[in-house]
Amino acid sequence: MALFDAMSIAGSGMLAHRKWLDAVSDNISNINTASRTSEDAFKERMVSVQAVEYGQGDGGVQVAGVSFGSGEGRVVYEPDNPLADENGNVKYPDIDLGDQMAELMMAQRGYQANATVIDRATDAYKAALALGKG
Amino acid sequence: MTSPIPGVSLAGFTGVSAIGATSAPAASSTSGGDFAGILATSLDQLQSTQSKADNLATQAATGDLQDVHDYMIASNEASLATEMVVAIKNQAVSAFNEIMRMQV
Repeated sequence: MALFDAMSIAGSGMLAHRKWLDAVSDNISNINTASRTSEDAFKERMVSVQAVEYGQGDGGVQVAGVSFGSGEGRVVYEPDNPLADENGNVKYPDIDLGDQMAELMMAQRGYQANATVIDRATDAYKAALALGKG
Repeated sequence: MTSPIPGVSLAGFTGVSAIGATSAPAASSTSGGDFAGILATSLDQLQSTQSKADNLATQAATGDLQDVHDYMIASNEASLATEMVVAIKNQAVSAFNEIMRMQV
């Protein structure tokens, strides 16, 4: 976008943070997902981003990829679980809820910060358009 | 208060006629083409921003919209571009009116 760069750049930031929010919500929604000890536990989703160099690209940020945590999980003794093995163990994902909550806050604040940038850029452009109106 | 005004208008008249005699056609043609070009470019950009916003609005209505902020940014940009074209148009019209008001 050539006309209003700041807004599309902040939009790329919102997109990156939205994907981060998606990843965190995926992790939290599966935090109690038990699986068989013979299988991998739910793997933590981690979004990695990289800068789009201003001048060479459009500026802003883009999602470089999604990586996965360890599927090793933690083994819990739960003999009443239908997925338990012969020793009565199941696997739970090795995800720390406090950690996810902190990431959730960071993603949310980043999203809001980018939304604020768009608001302010709109105000600034409007001020420029009001030039000469007296 | 009254004496400087005839003096100024006199000087202005001689200045304008002198400039008009030498280089009026060149100046008017370059500035006119320039402004028309600016207006045409901004109208093109307005068209593309508005059609982008329209597409996203359709996606929002049909439930195909991936990102809410995409539509909000596009509609924001479309409204800003409209404001800009209107501002340019207003400046053009006021410049035209200013010229039409000129005493000959």
